[in-house]
Formats: sequence, C-alpha cells, structure tokens
Amino acid sequence: MNNPISLIDLKEGEKATIVSITGGAGVTQRLTDMGLTPGTEVTVIESAFFGPIEISVRGSKLAVGRGIAAKILVERK
Amino acid sequence: MEKKLNIALAGNMNVGKSVIFNSLTGLHQHIGNWPGKTVEKAEGTLHYKGYTIDVIDLPGIYSLSTFSIEELISRNYIAVEKPDLVINVVDASILERNLFFTLQLLELEIPLMMALNQVDLARKKGITINHRKLQKLLGIPVIPTIAVRDIGIHELMNEAIRIAEGKKKIKPLKVKYGKEVETRIKKIVKLLKGINIRYPTRYVTIKFLEGDKEIKKIVSKVNPKIVKIVEKYKKEIEHIHGHSCSTLIASEKYEVASKIVRKVQKVTPHKKPSLEDQLHAITTHKVWGYPIMFALLAVMFFTVFSFGDFFSTLLTNVFVEMTSAFEIIFGSGIASKLVFSIIEGLVAGITVILPYILPFYIILGILEDSGYLSRIAFLMDVAMHKIGLHGKAFIPMILGYGCNVPACLACRIMETQRERLIAIFVTTLVPCAAVTTIILGLVGRFVGIGWAFLLYVINLIIIFILGRVAFKFFPGEPVGLIMEMHSYKMPHIKTTAKRTWFRIKNFIYIALPLIIVSSFFIKFLEIANLLNPIANLMSPITVGWLGLPTIVGITLIFGILRKELTLVMLATLLGTTNFSLILTPVQMIVFSLVTMLYIPCIATIAALIKELGWKKALLISIFEIMFAIFVGGIMFRLLTLIS
Repeated sequence: MNNPISLIDLKEGEKATIVSITGGAGVTQRLTDMGLTPGTEVTVIESAFFGPIEISVRGSKLAVGRGIAAKILVERK
Repeated sequence: MEKKLNIALAGNMNVGKSVIFNSLTGLHQHIGNWPGKTVEKAEGTLHYKGYTIDVIDLPGIYSLSTFSIEELISRNYIAVEKPDLVINVVDASILERNLFFTLQLLELEIPLMMALNQVDLARKKGITINHRKLQKLLGIPVIPTIAVRDIGIHELMNEAIRIAEGKKKIKPLKVKYGKEVETRIKKIVKLLKGINIRYPTRYVTIKFLEGDKEIKKIVSKVNPKIVKIVEKYKKEIEHIHGHSCSTLIASEKYEVASKIVRKVQKVTPHKKPSLEDQLHAITTHKVWGYPIMFALLAVMFFTVFSFGDFFSTLLTNVFVEMTSAFEIIFGSGIASKLVFSIIEGLVAGITVILPYILPFYIILGILEDSGYLSRIAFLMDVAMHKIGLHGKAFIPMILGYGCNVPACLACRIMETQRERLIAIFVTTLVPCAAVTTIILGLVGRFVGIGWAFLLYVINLIIIFILGRVAFKFFPGEPVGLIMEMHSYKMPHIKTTAKRTWFRIKNFIYIALPLIIVSSFFIKFLEIANLLNPIANLMSPITVGWLGLPTIVGITLIFGILRKELTLVMLATLLGTTNFSLILTPVQMIVFSLVTMLYIPCIATIAALIKELGWKKALLISIFEIMFAIFVGGIMFRLLTLIS
C-alpha cells in the first residue's frame, strides 16, 4: 500500500480513493454526509496552489476549503 | 367535516424544494422564524380535492444529525409534530447523494414519499432513472417531477391523498448494516425497551452509535448505565473497522444508496462537455474566474447605481412638487410640519428602495438562482479565510451594498454562531446604497470619481483589518468551506421574484417604520430648537478632531437614523447643493469616510438586535462610532499634510 497523500497533493483531473479523514468530529461528519466516506472515489476538478479545491464525488460537485482538503487522506488510482 | 392534511417537504439544498412549495401554495404563504431560532420557517396552505393541506418547507439539509440548527429543527419537527406525510424532494441528477438523506428519513419510520425532481436536468446530463424500480426498492411512492414547469405536481398531491386515505400501503425499506453493527443495534434496542424517546428506538440506537449529542443527553438522564454500554460497543466496532463508528454507519448507508442507484440509474456520458460545464469551468478558473467576477460585479453596480441615480432624481423632483403643494394646502405650522415629516420619511424610504435596492436585489437574485453566487463564494474563499470566515460569507457582504438589513439576516448561511457574529460585524461595515449615494453625490461629484473609488478601497482594507481583529477577538477554530457547487441553471422567475420580495420585505418591515418614526423625531428636534445646542456640544469632535464645520454635527446625528439623510440635511442646513462652496475637498472626503463607518443606521441596529441580541448590537454600534471618529481624524491629518 502506498503512503496516503492528502487531497491537496492531487493534480487536476486525477482520481483517488478516500482512505480516511483526520479532522474533528464535526468536519468529518459534514464530509461523510456529503458522501466522502472511506473507499469513495473522488476526482479533482479544480486545484490551484491556493484557494479551495473542487472535487466531484458521487455525481455532485463539491468545493472544499484548503485546510479541510489537507485533512482528507487519499490514495491515487 | 373539513378534511385536513399536514405535509412537510424535506430534502437537500437546491433540489427545487421551494419551487415545489411555491407551486403548491402560491400566494398563501407565511414566512417566519422557527420559535426562538434564527432559522426561516416557510408555511403555506392549499385546497385540493376537498382537503385543506398545510405544507411546511423544511430547511435544505444533507443529513439528520445535530451538526446544524437546521438539521435539529427538521428532525424534531418530523418526530414531534408528526406531519401526516413527508415528501422527500430529490434531485434526480445527483441521486446517490440525495438517497443518503432519504435513507435517514426512512429510519425515522414516518409516512414518506418521494418527488424525484429535476428529471429534465438529469436527462441533460445523460442520466435516466427507472422510477418504478426505485419505488419498489425503497418501498415508498416515487413521483417524477419537473417543478419549474409544474410537471408532476398534481400526481404528487393525488398520491399524497391516496396515502392519507390509506388507499396506498407503504412498506418502506429497512436499511441493514453490517453484522458487527446489527448485532449491537439489537442489544441496544433491548436495553432501550420501555424508555420513551420521541424517536423510534432503532433510530435512537443508530444515532446513539453515531455519537449524536441530543440522543446521548436524553438517554443519560434516564439511565446513564446504557450510555456506558453503548460507548463500549462503539469502541468495539471502531476497533474492528478502524474508522469511527459514525463514519462507518455513514459509509454503509452510502453503500446501500449506491447499490440502489446502480440498479435504477443509466448514464450515457456526453462526448463533448456541455455548455453548462464550460461555463462552470471558466467561472471557477483559477485565473480567469477573478476578472470575470470583478467585471460582472462592476457591471452590476454600475447598472444599478446609474439607473438608481436617474430614477431617484426623478422621484425627488416629484417629491419637491409635493412639498410645495402640501404647504399651500395645509400651511407651514408646527402640526403641519410634523405630519409632513412622516410623509417625508415614507417618501425617503421609497426613493431608496425603488431605484436602488429593488434592482440591486433583482439582479443579485438572478445571479443567486442561476448558481453564480456559489462560484463567487468559491473564488473568494481565500480572501475570506484571512478574516476567519469562508467563501460563503462573501454573499451577505455583497447584499450589504444594497441594504445592511437583509444582509445581516443573510448571515444565517454561516454554520456556527461565531461565524455568524463575525460575518454580521463585517457586513455592517459595508457601505449600503444610501452611503453610496453620499459618496457619489459628494466626493464623486465635487472631488473626483477617483477619490470616491479610493474610499471604497479604503473601506475594503478596513473591513479586512477589522475582520482580522474580530477573528482574533472571538477565538475558536474557523470553520472551513464545504459547499456544494450546484449546476448552472436558468433562474426560475417565480422563485427568484419571491426571494427578492422577502428581502425587500425585511427592509419594508424593519427599516421603513424606523425611517418614518425617525423623520418625525428629527422634525421635532428641529422645531424644539435643539439641533444647534447638540451640534455645539459635539464640536470638539467634529471641529477639533475631524476638521469639519460645526453644523455637520447635526447631520451626523441624523445619519444615525438614516444615512442618506446626512447629505440631504447638509444641503438643507447649508442652503445649497453646491457643496464645494462650503466644504473643502478634504472635508468632503473625511465627512464621507465618517458617514461610511460611524454606525450601522437605526434599522440595521434593529436587525442586529434581532440576530445577535441587544448587548452585542450595542457593542458593535459603540465600537463603530469610536472607530469612525478615530479613522476620520487620522484621515483629516493625513490629507491636510498631503495638500
């Protein structure tokens, strides 16, 4: 198994699988409510060197702040 | 006997819930607040096939946990008020994510049916859904709808009545979890036997395992032993799976949703990106997104304020005619003056609403409904983070350029109390339409448009600095941005119109009465000859520190009541509208700057009290007065030094 990286390490267009979320209970709850559960595939749509990251997950588009994105650990596909 | 029916609409955000609500209830609506909460409550009534149907539009949410007030309100309403039927409105183009919420509703064991909405939008994305199969799998009636074109609404109501009359039996799906979870659920259900909690026992158990605070509190009051046992079970489950119990349960629920979707949904992806996709890509682009945003906002402001200026001049001229007519008819005695001040207040309010605020909010409503405002929130996230907020807070700020009152109420989109407080504070610093008329009418006309623009830039810098201070002052971890980016769509005229109306209504109900009362009050002060003594009392500040003429003190008092009055009063007191004869350019700039910042007007203070309580409202007001005087004085010295 590769070392998990975070969502901000991915380039635009890259796909990855969620491994875990390391944030507090509140943030984790909100993210899982939006469909970001472990094992889910996400695609990065927009990611600059600053600002929020836009991902596509379970058919919806989601904007996630950079700080939160750093806490979402993923594995490249 | 009259037949009654209570229906609640529940669903994610932006699924067309309020469109369905509007098309069901039309004009028979009542929008208020949930008791004791700053969350909007929309109720309406319709008469259909001999039934009086009360419809309630629950807030748009993604889950039924207790993360936000909206979620707790929805959950309590469904469980305690027990509506006869809950209609789950679902976005067919994002079925999986929507089903996650449906499954939670199913666990509440309530009479439930589904409006599978926006099937046209789904088709555009190449998604077709077999709703009969979906109906079978979920065990609840599923009606496909296109609410924006009123398609499926009748079928929805017919089915609702059939359920209410018991002609349609519902056998809802029971969500099953993995073995490790299910065996423990069974054990906890046994423990909870005989304990009366407002929710179904299985639901309580599941939420308990998820770490729901409300449930934990209720149960620990009855039997703290159970809490300990549940905590033990949670640890066991977490040990087996390596994830927190709540994450695991959400995962398994999503797994069920995903399985259903695979059975009912067919996707034929488009070869070329659609126009919507291209529009989305360019408006959120890391480089091009910003110039597009600034250009759009600039065009919006320019259109609104040039239209507003033209229209408001027109209205003012009519008003001047009215004034002389009134004086001819009723004379200019004290009583007549006082009565007329009431009319004056009303007219003044109208000359701000009609030309400025109304067009501003119409354009903004269209931008919002089309989905562009969430793109702005996306782009502004970085900047807003610097003041401890996230991108969404930019939306009330833009509203603030129209009128601070609806803008303060719009800060409810922020997730926590702390975020709301900072967002509201920052919003009250935004120059509203009335302040803009002062800046343009004074600095813009007599000093130069460049200086007027500079004042806006200074304002933004001040907002940024004070926002940062507030961020430090109210400690706590800032909440990051988690926001769905809905697909672009054509704004639905009726829904947009309604939203605009409710924003304007905030102004009319809160601001307008205060404007009228204050007009009366000012006239009274004037007649009682109290204005000059007050101005003299203030002169150490106005003259000594700010370098303004004594008489300006009066206008600043008036400005507390209505900001645009400062300019109107200035003209009246000075006896001319050619301000360059009396005020130096430096004085004009200092005067505008102070007016821009020195206090939220009385209507905004009322909104602050409504949203934050009077203590915080008072604190913000006093702070802003002192701050404006401080900054104004510095500006005066700085500008004198330069010139």
